[in-house]
Amino acid sequence: MASLLVFFCSAGDILAQEELSPDTLSQDSTMVMGDNVAKVVTTSVISYAQRLQDRFTKSPLLITILYIVILYSIVTLITLLIIILLNRGRMQREEKQKTYLLEKYQLLLMEYLFEEEMQDKALREIERIANNRMNRQVLIDQMIDLSVNLQGKIKERIQELYLRVGLKRDSLDKAYSRKWHNNVKGFRELAFMNVRDANNKIIESLNSNNEILRMEAQIAMVRLSEDNPYAFLDLLEKPLSLWEQVTLHELLIQHKLKVPAFKQWFHSENLTVLIYALEMVSWFKQRGVGKEIIALFDHENEKVRNSAYKVCGEIELKTSLPAMIKKYPVESYANKLEILLAFAKVPDARYLAFLKMVLDTEDDVQLQIQATKAMENTDEPGISMLIKLMKSKSEYKNYQIIIRHVLDGRIY
Amino acid sequence: MERAFEILKWFVLNAVFIITALIFTTYLVLTIFSAISLRKYLRKNSYVDYNSIVSSPLAPSLSVIAPAFNESETIIDNIRTLLSLYYNNYEVVVVNDGSKDDSLEKIIKAYELEKVNYYFDYRLPCKRIRGVYKSQNRSFKKLTVIDKANGGKADSLNAGLNVCRNDLVVSIDADSIMEPDALLKMVKPFMEAKERKVIGAGGVIRIANSCEIKDGHIQKINLPKKFLPRAQVMEYTRAFLMGRMAWSELDGLLLISGALGMFDREIVINAGGYHTNTVGEDMELVVRIRMYMVDNGLDYDVVYIPDPLCWTEVPSTLKVLARQRSRWTRGTLETLITHRKLFFNRKYGKLGMLGYPYWLMFEYLAPIIEFLGILWFIFLVITNSLNWPFFLLLLGFVYFFAVSLSIWAVLFEEITFHKYEKRRDVLRLMGTAFLEPIFYHPLVMLMSIKGNIDKLLNRNSWGKMERKGFGKN
Repeated sequence: MASLLVFFCSAGDILAQEELSPDTLSQDSTMVMGDNVAKVVTTSVISYAQRLQDRFTKSPLLITILYIVILYSIVTLITLLIIILLNRGRMQREEKQKTYLLEKYQLLLMEYLFEEEMQDKALREIERIANNRMNRQVLIDQMIDLSVNLQGKIKERIQELYLRVGLKRDSLDKAYSRKWHNNVKGFRELAFMNVRDANNKIIESLNSNNEILRMEAQIAMVRLSEDNPYAFLDLLEKPLSLWEQVTLHELLIQHKLKVPAFKQWFHSENLTVLIYALEMVSWFKQRGVGKEIIALFDHENEKVRNSAYKVCGEIELKTSLPAMIKKYPVESYANKLEILLAFAKVPDARYLAFLKMVLDTEDDVQLQIQATKAMENTDEPGISMLIKLMKSKSEYKNYQIIIRHVLDGRIY
Repeated sequence: MERAFEILKWFVLNAVFIITALIFTTYLVLTIFSAISLRKYLRKNSYVDYNSIVSSPLAPSLSVIAPAFNESETIIDNIRTLLSLYYNNYEVVVVNDGSKDDSLEKIIKAYELEKVNYYFDYRLPCKRIRGVYKSQNRSFKKLTVIDKANGGKADSLNAGLNVCRNDLVVSIDADSIMEPDALLKMVKPFMEAKERKVIGAGGVIRIANSCEIKDGHIQKINLPKKFLPRAQVMEYTRAFLMGRMAWSELDGLLLISGALGMFDREIVINAGGYHTNTVGEDMELVVRIRMYMVDNGLDYDVVYIPDPLCWTEVPSTLKVLARQRSRWTRGTLETLITHRKLFFNRKYGKLGMLGYPYWLMFEYLAPIIEFLGILWFIFLVITNSLNWPFFLLLLGFVYFFAVSLSIWAVLFEEITFHKYEKRRDVLRLMGTAFLEPIFYHPLVMLMSIKGNIDKLLNRNSWGKMERKGFGKN
């Protein structure tokens, strides 16, 4: 800091003289060394401050800017250093407090849930500790963590405790807050605790521009709906991303929710909902939807058609194979591949001629491999055809390397 | 003559000030954007449950491509780490780039590999693939090893792209350590995409020097003990948490680090794969795939994730650092020259109007301007015509602003990922922020100049990165 001061003093002098000769600095230094250092420093500081104030407005713009930036940087620097150190202390304290609360709550929740005679005492103690926002938030988080892995009566008792301690108010405040990240928290808490008081707000958020809020609203709707957890799909105007689809699917599996007949969304105007419905039909192997799926082969959207071909393979829909053969020549590369994958999953020796035609005419490695795999999967007729091809010497295609690849059991 | 000299002096002085002020203003703006972006990211992701994609059948399939050259010491552990990532639907493709040591033999033995009849075509140009290996042991079914003639990193990545089959590819240095949940975090932006296709994602690379590593996993994070790697920690924190985060927010990201990046396979192949005639293949690829999307009228995003996803060892000696920085400079220059049509080209939007000019002015030209400034300073000192007070004022301006930027970066790190738990480490990092502009930055600037000279003299070697090896720090 001392050198900084000297530097500023020198700079101040410079400004006074417009152009400072190197001699000035040495003169100043000699004077400082000659006198009592403390006295000189004090005098210099005061006089410098006065001169700085006086000259600041008169100095050239460039110098003024430099001064401002240097001062800004030093102030920022010191402030940031203090913030970093204070923040560290705060974080450590909060962490400590959180650990203490978690241990305490865990014990009390166990008493409340599993020891009838301790219930009232535990409730009083929980109410005593949860007396501020942070402590209440830790309690809500702890209850949610616990309820994730619980079912039945115990879960209901957690929900009952949540209401008795008055935590619903906290969650509702968050759900109706102006800040989206609070809404997300609120929706999540209400959904876990099966509270439907904010359903209007949640439904409103289903088409929010904020994708996180939108997703959390979807999750909350699924959790809060008993009869038709996926009813919200009818209300959805925004696209359903793959991420949202995965989250919803996981929810369905984890919480053993009632699986709806997904074909009801085959006519959805929201194409992502339609694709998701197809994926779910495939995952839950829902039958009796053959006609509807085959009708989707003529859908104008390439991705919808792709999903339709995929589902046919997954649910082994033999009746779809002739329709797929018809579509093959006019399809995109990705869809051609999907059709061949479907043929590999629904092996049928009747279509070996088609697969052989693909192998002969296509130049793409993936298409060739998938066609060969589909042939191999038909067992005896397909394999003998492949062996025959391997032995033949075609001028146009080296069947050997393709077939060897497919028949190599080490390539998964 | 004297008058002309005075004018020149005045011009240089003001030019240096203006350029410096411009650079600092840009940094300040980037800091603000980075803060906005970080806040958004942290809020958004504090509610995310990544576990839902670990085993989801809907999650996209991934191919992790790891080129390896003479990495016999670490390759077995590194492959083990890659095989144990938290993700279900992925394969690991290790490309042995004609190693001269016993890397391949070691891999074959450790993972019970056999040469298979693998059929592929050379959609992307690469050196001859001598063989593809798979294991009969089902525990290693995710692993594919390619043995090919030596052709460099870009060539190996192209070989991997030719052989792998999945929708998304992850390029990683075989000697880097991935965070176990890195794939989950990287794949998320691709899964969130709606109208705009996500074509690439990168994340923060952290420095593993002095960290405790066991079985290919980071056990304890420590700040490097030596000054040189520690200064690089400061530099990386600034670059990743401030620079790239902000550029991602501004949609002008030009670089996804070669140490770890995820890309849409079809887009990379259609755009021509990695260029083998540059040492900056990572930057070149990002620029090219972005241009490909614009040229084809496709909406796209390149995403950056501020989470620490990967750990790497940085040079701890000046010699190795000089080689690395020379390569980086040459790589940047090559990319800037190759794609010069981007310069203030409106067609390419922010990429052409912001990203490219920034890289040209502030990443590539800044060290050169700095170097010329030093030469000018020496000249003025020799001719006894330096205005010392003004010089010191400028120096103070540059120094304090630079330090305050670094401290901002430390703050960002502290309030976001908080990886250095020891108070002493943070204090040392802050101390490094004060020393770095004096003892480290001038060196890096000179190394960058050397890179330019190397390029002029056509010295195009990759330069050997001598690593001590993890766990041997």
